[in-house]
Amino acid sequence: MTTTSERTALFADGLRAAQGELAPCRTWDDIWQYAISLSDETPVVAPAAYAHLQQGELPDENEPLRSIADRSVGITVATLAVAETGSVLLLEPAPIDRAVSLLTRRLIVAVAESDIVDELADGFRWLAQQPRAAAYATFVTGPSRTADIERSLTIGVQGPSRLVVAVLA
Amino acid sequence: MSASTAPFKERYRRSVGDPDLKPRLLAFQRSWRESRDAQVRRLEQRTERSFDELRREFAAVKDSTLKRIDDYIAEFRANAEAAGATVIELSTAEEAVNYIAAVCKSRGIDLVVKSKSMVSEEIELNHELEQRGVTAIETDLGEWLLQLAEERPSHLVMPAIHQKRQYVAEILGEELGREFDPDDIPTMVASARDGLRRHYLSAGAGLTGANALVAETGSIMVVTNEGNMRLATSLPDVHFVTAGIEKLIPSWNDAERQLQLLPRSATAQTLSTYTTCITGAQPGKEMHIILLDNGRRAMRNSDVIGDALRCIRCGACANVCPPYQVVGGHTFGHIYTGAIGLVNTTFHHGIADAAGPQGLCVSCGACHTVCPVDIPLPKQILEIRHRSHQAGHAPLWERVALRLWARPRLFHHMMGLAALGSGFARLIGLVRRDHLRAPLPRRLRWRSIPALPMRPGRSLVESRAPEPRLADSPAAGQTVDLFAQCLADRLLPTAVDSTAKLIEAGGASVQLPESQHCCGLPAFDAGDWDNARRMAKHTIEALEDSEREIVTPAPSCVISMQDHWPRLFADDAEWRSRAAAVSRRVHDLADWLEGPGRLPDGCLSNGEAAAWTAHRFCQTSNRGDAWGRIDTLVERLTGEAALPLDEPDVCCGFGGLTSLAAPEVGAGILERKLSCIADTGCETLITNNPGCVIHLRAGADSSGASHQTLHYADFLAARLPKHP
Repeated sequence: MTTTSERTALFADGLRAAQGELAPCRTWDDIWQYAISLSDETPVVAPAAYAHLQQGELPDENEPLRSIADRSVGITVATLAVAETGSVLLLEPAPIDRAVSLLTRRLIVAVAESDIVDELADGFRWLAQQPRAAAYATFVTGPSRTADIERSLTIGVQGPSRLVVAVLA
Repeated sequence: MSASTAPFKERYRRSVGDPDLKPRLLAFQRSWRESRDAQVRRLEQRTERSFDELRREFAAVKDSTLKRIDDYIAEFRANAEAAGATVIELSTAEEAVNYIAAVCKSRGIDLVVKSKSMVSEEIELNHELEQRGVTAIETDLGEWLLQLAEERPSHLVMPAIHQKRQYVAEILGEELGREFDPDDIPTMVASARDGLRRHYLSAGAGLTGANALVAETGSIMVVTNEGNMRLATSLPDVHFVTAGIEKLIPSWNDAERQLQLLPRSATAQTLSTYTTCITGAQPGKEMHIILLDNGRRAMRNSDVIGDALRCIRCGACANVCPPYQVVGGHTFGHIYTGAIGLVNTTFHHGIADAAGPQGLCVSCGACHTVCPVDIPLPKQILEIRHRSHQAGHAPLWERVALRLWARPRLFHHMMGLAALGSGFARLIGLVRRDHLRAPLPRRLRWRSIPALPMRPGRSLVESRAPEPRLADSPAAGQTVDLFAQCLADRLLPTAVDSTAKLIEAGGASVQLPESQHCCGLPAFDAGDWDNARRMAKHTIEALEDSEREIVTPAPSCVISMQDHWPRLFADDAEWRSRAAAVSRRVHDLADWLEGPGRLPDGCLSNGEAAAWTAHRFCQTSNRGDAWGRIDTLVERLTGEAALPLDEPDVCCGFGGLTSLAAPEVGAGILERKLSCIADTGCETLITNNPGCVIHLRAGADSSGASHQTLHYADFLAARLPKHP
């Protein structure tokens, strides 16, 4: 059996291997302080994260994607994280849920430490048991990347160029 | 006509004329190999299962799904439609294009943004939509660069791997109206991001492929690194999915198994950046899932080829393919590239489009070793070559040569004449170091032409006294039939003689069945199965009159007898059993020297340490034969360690007829091999297959390399005790 702290350490290794970063945050308040320290712009916040934060800017309901294209900092929340791969699972059924993770430059993803599972298989088992969850679900492993020009790894080609995960106590 | 859509001969000429392609693909193949192997090792440790077990398990899932494909399609359809998607099954490329065009037309859509989809390439969707007034824009960076250059992908996963950054700077500059520094890749990527963004915002539909279609929920799963697929499915109101029916899997559990194998095999990542699962249409939007057949059911119903439908499009088969490294995917393939492209093109685009590159495959078998779904690609390529030969696509010189080869007496006389000619050339000073010094056409200069020795190997064996017994091997006292191999007999006669000596040193005696000639391999390899059968039958008749064990210096003939004869006689029970009775008795010399003819450790140590290294015949290595590790055998018998050789199991470029049909491919692979050999600093290179010895020796001679090249039988026999 893996202990919680072992699992968190494994997750951090996987995340870093995929060029992701771990945020020095254990609470939602830490996340907010961290987010505003990154930029002068107001962070944009996905609806699921807003429920916890009660501050920041929500995407526009009518034009959720256009309204926040290339904003510098976004905050969202993951349903679970996978220690094996360093991935976070985002459930984002509507464009408004997705806008922040799609189009901000720096994305902060909050996940509860108790929601870190051992393996990708655990993540899929969870997904299979939640019929509505797979409406639009994404395992995100590190920031957007390409190696299409002469195999040179370039981070941030279409989605966020920095992916920061905050593991909440 | 662009470089990638020209006729095969033109594509071949262009790719071998590109000086940058080979080194770039070599660097790619080597770095992929290292990272992929590390990923697979970690996976094996974590799961406590071997790669072989993992791939066979997932292959079994694919097989059982394909067997009941219609049931799974029905289940998928019911679940996807319950979630608001439209699922449509279509038979041909044209139907698929028409469907997409019709939906666009009725919704007033004139711009479609696309994320990577090989099926859309297969049906040449962009071009076809353009004809129907709809513009499709690729949003995967590599695919977009191809679209701007009007090219096809040259790799399943790294579609623009053939493009130089200078070229990328040029085409991007033209599209975006500014200048780029080719060395500043981050700036090019950032500008591409901005260039693509406006298309997402104005497109009426997004189109994606699917890495898997999950029947139990009617979901699609798509794996990307850039995140363009998520954008293409979030901004526009209509989502098209184009996928082959073979992408169906029963459950999420199976999806996870596929993900254990796919990113590791594709890009050597544990997991790609985005693994997205979508079920049904999003509120207020449309989702059209097009399940395409386009030859897939015909493929499934074909005995040897059916397994190719397991393919998960990782591209690993290209990443280990020696000829792919030399010519790239525009030549080694059609729209689908790499080994799988040599197979499935026949079914999606027809035998004429599949025929061109068939002769480039060297049959080394490397593709099968890394295939994450255990597709027997080498076997399938030989099948397609056979079909291509039957359809009349074989070159005339090849057909004539094989017809001559298939006639033992004629072959014998011609070789006798060639030996006489070589003797004459020796007399007038045209032969130095066993190779002709005649001027050659430029495209053949990378390899000297070996001069034929006057006496064939069989005559060397028969004209000397038996080698004294050195040790009692388990086979001491037996008589063994020696199968000399047609090529070795004439071109490497000493290897035949040395093979006999090593058998005799173990206390067995050697006999040479009179009318032996050729096992049929050259003809089988070329797809000319009629002549192959003729040769195989001749060999079977020559060898079947005894119960004696058969030993040969040629591992390729062993593989031919064990693997190819059953296929040649699949419909002929009598000859099948006669063939099996012979092939059961056959041993490669290395196998013999470790088994019945085992000589003791260190018995061939002569106290003179030689600086030697070993190239292992690729087919035996890739088939997993332990006896293919001749370095281990020679180390054991001589007590001398081999110098470590990089890529010891990668093909040398001989490839049977490939080095004749496509000399630049033979030369390119040889160059890679010779550079690894030079890095060892060896004085002697040994190898086990006569064809490889001849090829490597002629190539070393032409390039002025200082090492000598020997069949390991010669290397070992030279260490037998001297006797008067």
